[in-house]
Amino acid sequence: MIDKVTDVKPVSNSRTRPSGNFIKAVAAVLWKDLTAEFRSRELFSAMLVFSLLIILIFNFALELDIKTRQSVNAGVLWATFAFAGTLGLNRSMAIEKDRGCLDGLLLAPVDRSAIYFGKVLSNLAFMLIVEIIVLPIYSVLYNVNLFLPGLLLVILLGSIGYVGVGTLLAAMSVQTRTRDILLPILLFPVVIPVLLAAVKASSGILAGAELADILLPINLLIAYDVIFIAVAFMVFDSVVEE
Amino acid sequence: MPSKPLTLRILDIVSVIVLGISAYIALFVAPTELVMGDVQRVFYFHIGTAWTALLGFILAAGFSVIYLITKNLLWDRLQVAAIEVSLVFFLITIVLGSIWARPAWNTWWTWDPRLTTAAVTELIYIAYFMLRQGIDDPDRRARFGAVYALIGGLSAPITFFAIRLFRTIHPVVISGSNPEAEGAFSMTPDMRTAFFFALFAFTVVFIDLFWNRIRLGELQDKVEQLKLKVTM
Amino acid sequence: MFFQETTPDTSGYMIAGYTIAFVVMGLYVLSIYLRNRNLSQDMTILEEMDKSNAESEAGSANQRRKSPQSQGTK
Repeated sequence: MIDKVTDVKPVSNSRTRPSGNFIKAVAAVLWKDLTAEFRSRELFSAMLVFSLLIILIFNFALELDIKTRQSVNAGVLWATFAFAGTLGLNRSMAIEKDRGCLDGLLLAPVDRSAIYFGKVLSNLAFMLIVEIIVLPIYSVLYNVNLFLPGLLLVILLGSIGYVGVGTLLAAMSVQTRTRDILLPILLFPVVIPVLLAAVKASSGILAGAELADILLPINLLIAYDVIFIAVAFMVFDSVVEE
Repeated sequence: MPSKPLTLRILDIVSVIVLGISAYIALFVAPTELVMGDVQRVFYFHIGTAWTALLGFILAAGFSVIYLITKNLLWDRLQVAAIEVSLVFFLITIVLGSIWARPAWNTWWTWDPRLTTAAVTELIYIAYFMLRQGIDDPDRRARFGAVYALIGGLSAPITFFAIRLFRTIHPVVISGSNPEAEGAFSMTPDMRTAFFFALFAFTVVFIDLFWNRIRLGELQDKVEQLKLKVTM
Repeated sequence: MFFQETTPDTSGYMIAGYTIAFVVMGLYVLSIYLRNRNLSQDMTILEEMDKSNAESEAGSANQRRKSPQSQGTK
């Protein structure tokens, strides 16, 4: 189990190529998270099982006929992703804090934002893997084809925005006394534009709407992703400094 | 703790007077609206609180940026005051919006962009205070508060525009006459007076409460410091 | 003209609205006032504690100045 930074490939100290340094740091963080998760699979299995249970609950909560259900498929999917996502974000950051990895990473001579990007990428990877598994299961359970390229794009963009802000907020919430409970409270109000746009675009794609209708929310997703990752990149330092 | 400066004492009294005058104008000078009746009068206070709370919200985001750059805790104190007062004002906005909606459109809530964004913003404010509550170190509290207020400050306007743009699948509240459904009604000159005076009055009240809250924050910081010193 | 409804009497809602507005603001003002008062009381207590701390420290400093002399004469 990787629990020391020394297990990770050392970052090159090339002062002549600072950008290479940065990318190497990001890759190091990503690699650490992925291999750790690959061995234990605790995050991943929890998120997956939770997602399936949420779908189950929605099935009983919204007893719908086939026609009405078509209008809520997008919403149910995104609600599932949103809830399961907090699980992954929480655990991912908690692991860092509990095992002292965060401190180790902070001691390394890298730009703090490299840690941010690394965490975002690993959290994104987990979320996407879970989503990729949930999609076929949902398709089968509700007899709806979810493997449309447009939909996959929307899921990708939405997940990026969600994880971009979520990683920053999780880094904060894990340092408070209330920890896990706080993340959804912080995250959900702020991530509403993502959910709005993603559901709008998703339901449009599933219903075969016109391109113009779908492009607008997709553009909003892209704008949101860019703005918030830029802001998080700038403030992440303040969040992890001692 | 130095006693209240004279300016602030005067401002306290002026705020009460100005608020009273605004209420008087809204209740007795402005004419009764034709379709909705008297309940429309809550609109003046509804907009008054909404506008100032929005101002406070933008201020708070600005304070975030300044604090993160200067790391001077003064800006944190200003931010807490701005958000707290805005939280109270937005609460009034939301409740009045609901009260207005009920007889006007036969529903306690409309998912229109303004009201929904107000609710979302209110939740962001509450989350802000819950975040701060869970942190003991004043420096970290200030930093985290600043980051969250900034993120929230950017997200809420986007929420507003998103709801507006996507003209959602939510059922549009239909009432007798369409202009009211959008929240628009033509204003007579007297109504305009009431409207602008309410804006003015609530701005004054906001500044007064804001200043008072800042002084409270100063006292809080002093007490905390002294506590540390004495119990060492 | 015969089809025009009379203006409905919604003054009940209006009164509720204004009452709530004033009550909420009043409660907030009260909250600031009470917090201020509590903190001021804390302040007075703390200042007294600080003063007595300073005095006792001064007292023990005096004693420390005296004792080396008494030890020196032994």
